[in-house]
Amino acid sequence: MSNRDDPTQNASDRDDFERRLAAKLEKRRAEQAERAPTNWSQGVRYGSEFAGGVLAGAGLGYLADQVFGWTPWGLLIGVLVGFAAGTLNVVRAASNMNRDGSP
Amino acid sequence: MAEATNPIKQFEIHPIAPFNIGGVDLSFTNSSYFMVASALLVAGLLWLSMSKRALVPGRAQSVAEMTYEFVAGMIRSTTGDAGLKFFPFVFTLFTFILMGNLLGMMPYFPAPEFHGFTFTSHIIVTFAMALLVMGIVVGYGVFKNGLKFFSIFFPAGVPWPLYILLTPIELISFLSRPVTLGVRLFANMLAGHILLKVFASFIVMLGSAGALGVLGAVAPLIMVVALTALEFLVAFLQAYVFAVLTCIYLSDALHPGHH
Repeated sequence: MSNRDDPTQNASDRDDFERRLAAKLEKRRAEQAERAPTNWSQGVRYGSEFAGGVLAGAGLGYLADQVFGWTPWGLLIGVLVGFAAGTLNVVRAASNMNRDGSP
Repeated sequence: MAEATNPIKQFEIHPIAPFNIGGVDLSFTNSSYFMVASALLVAGLLWLSMSKRALVPGRAQSVAEMTYEFVAGMIRSTTGDAGLKFFPFVFTLFTFILMGNLLGMMPYFPAPEFHGFTFTSHIIVTFAMALLVMGIVVGYGVFKNGLKFFSIFFPAGVPWPLYILLTPIELISFLSRPVTLGVRLFANMLAGHILLKVFASFIVMLGSAGALGVLGAVAPLIMVVALTALEFLVAFLQAYVFAVLTCIYLSDALHPGHH
């Protein structure tokens, strides 16, 4: 109680408090960073990235077939390029996750 | 019996107020009802909890502040401070999806016919939101960087003949983003809710099959309890993932060529 009235004591108390608070916050941030990406969300992310690439490629190829009458080459090439795009998506997602650990 | 245990009956859309313009069905449906409820609930709860503006926040106010800090931190860590001008957009998306997912976890809701509905389990809703995100990414990217925005289709440091192969791949990779963004949210909510309903109907079926059946129904009951907890986790996680990916795509519009 007495050291509350003493300004020098008070200042060092506050410094000490700031230091402890910063340490606590740092610890909590580290804990959260560790916990954030769950296996489930990672798995779903990879799966949907790949499927999305193939679906978009196939859709574009099918559209080209319908519009320009390239049947069946549009769909064939679209699926193949979509496959490559899906793989690129997965690689990009993986390197993203490795870099900052977020899903 | 078959009607009550149909696992996909929960996704049916009923018009509440039929409305037709020139042969186009624009009825106010139960899906629209839940979207309006979600938007009003988010706005109302935020307004209520922040109405005191206390320096030392109470419980409601600290939840509102935590949500704000959470989304602001997410934007800062993925796009840097330049992305903060998109804070209202990302925050609205996040809270709207989160509230929609959580409203979907209620088996009964004060709506017409009193059964719950998850609007995020319809691909048209999630795909429309994904298209909105991509529209903003392309629009803002072109507005801010001009033609330099399209450099994301021409990866640097490659001999030019390879562009014949690489540019279509990059283009489709870009076009697949709204598809993945929409499909992921939709598929998670749809699959989770079907699974819940299937296991819940096992309880009813086994329970009506005599004493041994009642004993056997304990197993699906435990499963449903565990799945409900998992679904709450998924509701948060998918809203978070949608918002994070929005931020990642926005950072492409802000700094193109930073892959």
